[in-house]
Amino acid sequence: MSLPALALPGQLLGHTDKYLPGPGTHIHEQQIYASIAGPVLSSPSPSRSAQTTSNASTKSKLVPLLSISRPPNTTSDPGILGTGSGGGAPILPEVDSVVLARITRLGPRFATCEILVINSTVCREAFQGQIRREDIRATEKDKIKIEESFRVGDLVRGTVISLGDQSNYYVATDRNEFGVVMARSEEGRLMYPVSWREFRDPVTGRGESRKAAKPF
Amino acid sequence: MAPQQAALVNLSPAELSFLRASLAQTPPIRLDVTKGPRDFRSMRAEYDVLPGANGSARIALEDGTEALVGVKAEVEKTPQRPASGEQEDVEMHDEEVGEGAGKGQNSWVEMSVEVPGFREDDSLPVFLASMLKESLLASRELRDRLYINRRFHWKLYVDVLLLSPALSYPLALLSMTTHLALLTTLLPALKSEKDEDPLFDDDWDAAVALYPKAAGKSTDKPPVIILAMAVGPNIIFDPCKEELAVADAVLAIACTNSASSATGARIVSIRTIDPPSHLTPPGIPNSMNSATGGTVPTSSTDALTQRELLATSGVWTPPRGGMKRTLVSQVTKMVVESGGVAEEVISALAAIEVG
Amino acid sequence: MNTDRRRNNAPAGGTTAPVFARTIREPGYLQSLRPSRSRGLNELRRIFLQTSIIPSASGSAYLEIPSSSAPVTLTLIPPTSSLKITASVQGPKPLPRSAPFSPSLLLTTTVKFAPFATRNRRGYIRDTTERDLGVHLETALRGVIIGERWPKSGVEVVVTILEGDEDGWWGDSGSEGSASGSGWGLLNVLAGCITVVSAAITDAGIDCVDVVTGGVAAIARTSDSGNSKVVARLLDPCPAEHKEIVAACAVAYLASRDEITEIWMKGDCGQDTDALTEGATHSAVGSLAVVKEVLLEALQAKFQGQLEASEGSLKRKVGDVDMTG
Repeated sequence: MSLPALALPGQLLGHTDKYLPGPGTHIHEQQIYASIAGPVLSSPSPSRSAQTTSNASTKSKLVPLLSISRPPNTTSDPGILGTGSGGGAPILPEVDSVVLARITRLGPRFATCEILVINSTVCREAFQGQIRREDIRATEKDKIKIEESFRVGDLVRGTVISLGDQSNYYVATDRNEFGVVMARSEEGRLMYPVSWREFRDPVTGRGESRKAAKPF
Repeated sequence: MAPQQAALVNLSPAELSFLRASLAQTPPIRLDVTKGPRDFRSMRAEYDVLPGANGSARIALEDGTEALVGVKAEVEKTPQRPASGEQEDVEMHDEEVGEGAGKGQNSWVEMSVEVPGFREDDSLPVFLASMLKESLLASRELRDRLYINRRFHWKLYVDVLLLSPALSYPLALLSMTTHLALLTTLLPALKSEKDEDPLFDDDWDAAVALYPKAAGKSTDKPPVIILAMAVGPNIIFDPCKEELAVADAVLAIACTNSASSATGARIVSIRTIDPPSHLTPPGIPNSMNSATGGTVPTSSTDALTQRELLATSGVWTPPRGGMKRTLVSQVTKMVVESGGVAEEVISALAAIEVG
Repeated sequence: MNTDRRRNNAPAGGTTAPVFARTIREPGYLQSLRPSRSRGLNELRRIFLQTSIIPSASGSAYLEIPSSSAPVTLTLIPPTSSLKITASVQGPKPLPRSAPFSPSLLLTTTVKFAPFATRNRRGYIRDTTERDLGVHLETALRGVIIGERWPKSGVEVVVTILEGDEDGWWGDSGSEGSASGSGWGLLNVLAGCITVVSAAITDAGIDCVDVVTGGVAAIARTSDSGNSKVVARLLDPCPAEHKEIVAACAVAYLASRDEITEIWMKGDCGQDTDALTEGATHSAVGSLAVVKEVLLEALQAKFQGQLEASEGSLKRKVGDVDMTG
């Protein structure tokens, strides 16, 4: 059976013996059906997943993975109203997504932030996130002080480690490339990073401590 | 975004999976193992409990849910259409015998449902009230009986109170209580004639029943609503809260006794009810849980693929989709057939009044 | 209950639509205005559907089922009503802070008639019928959406009915009250809502098991047969065209799975309801054809740009190579 180029939800794509279901598909009575509208892609199965899945390993043969791609975040010009109806894929933070977040509040045990960008896609609405003290850096966790790592208004790159509780996603910055990417000094000037723990004001030359992200 | 269903059950994915498996086998094993798929929960019922109402009833189920219904009838002035006077006069003469047939209006019946913990405009009470009302109004006899004369009519207020928190989906209980209350509702006998201001007889013995009982003849009765749920190939009636949490689909079927024959029933309304099972948390299989020796999927794509392949493994996944069309007709058949569930319920409720 | 506290409203039920003098003087004239069904019993009204109409929503659609009878110029009132519905889908988006953790997508449906949608004006506050429609719509969608793929998020479906089907012909409302409040028009409205929201959800890219569509069938006493009560089943009934509808049924139907996620049947259906549900599913399949066509068209337009852009950039690269080489 040949695959259709474009599929609508509920369209039959193939039997589970022949394909593995990927994003945008679902299984109903041993058949793979589309669950979103879009072009059908068939990619060679990642062998790793076939082995980790217990029942896939019994099948032992590698079957291609079927997926349906979402419309890309089309435009370079999203317009004032956003990306446009049916434009970009609706996006939610998932575990391991890299996010950009703005710090909104500092507490004794955690910093609150709002997640603005997920995997280089701008969200329609900010998601509430939380960076716990022990997730700020990987070493010397007991000596971390929140106020020496972030300030309100800083832009932080981090990764989602858990979907968290009812209101917050948990974000961690415990790798070199994660941390503050943009910060303003007390005078309100944009600062530049000088080390993994310091940003400096370009005019006064005064340093402020932050958990800085390693520049690329 | 208030919790839609009355009190979601707190069952773990493993418990849900077990419950579903036992309900889906043939014959199904219900939560209360002494019951078959067509058995109702036992209940205690009484009627004429409120002296201030024209009809009333109270039913308590074995699990502690209890409902009270009061039916009050008041006289209301019919708004006059200014213009159609002459025309209607002509019509009136040949309809004198019909005694208001086809004259009844839907707005003459008002129904309100009060469920503790819910505001009166929350979706659950609104849904319950509109289902009860539309099944009541499906046949014309009731509203035509509310016609007094051209200027006045009875306004029927049916007030349904759930006395306990909504432990299981209360629709069936409320409808049975309403049925019993309406069945025992009496309207004062009319003494005035034609289009005079209505005056009534104060003798309660002379009052006429809202649903008149003619000896030997099958007269129409108020509707009852029967809840049925589907799990796999099985159909289970009067499900309890825990059973609803694993349902594939739930149907509410309102029926009343059939006009033509003494046995069987006819359907006056059907609605699907959103089963709470759609909101249950999916289980995580051992193969995907690092705490039990599995491997956590490395990417969300991977996780999705593995989840989809789980379908038959017995790990709980919330049901998707609706109800097969053949299953719907199977349910309705079981309800309306002669000797079916509807007939059983209606005759059981009638027996309460007699005995 | 449900009083609008923000505005000064007229007393409820204190106003009525105007009564026209000629309809009273000449009863025959009134009857001559009565619309009748010109389509076949199994023929549906035409459907217009368009997706992606609201830029700020993640998915949206507009549905129009135009009035089937020709417009009458003699009187002020259109003989039959038409159906115009817009739907927008917001989200998936974060839940409000007060909401508890949810392992799956939380669906909220809001159905609202515009105040001018029907012959009798509707208020601004959602009344019970609108809330009831919202519950029906939610039931229809809940079974279709694969909610577990969108944990901890909510989606809001907002449906505005710009023009709704009436419960009966306006000329009947004066002489007999049987049609008013019977809610036959609501079934049509619900079926329209289901169809349009289904298109909007697909437009938003939310995982669904199938494209769900709504359909209505009814059993009506045909009036042209004189006194004998001929009962006929018809698809996609327009309540104004029938003097007496006995029973009607709206379904939300998944064609590829042959499943029903929502069924709303009312009236005196008798013992056998299969004919009614079957009719409603036929009608749903009819609208599915339109939805599929529209969605495919939109999809092609959506991905055409992407494909062309990628091809274009490839060409430019090739061109660059040529230039340097």
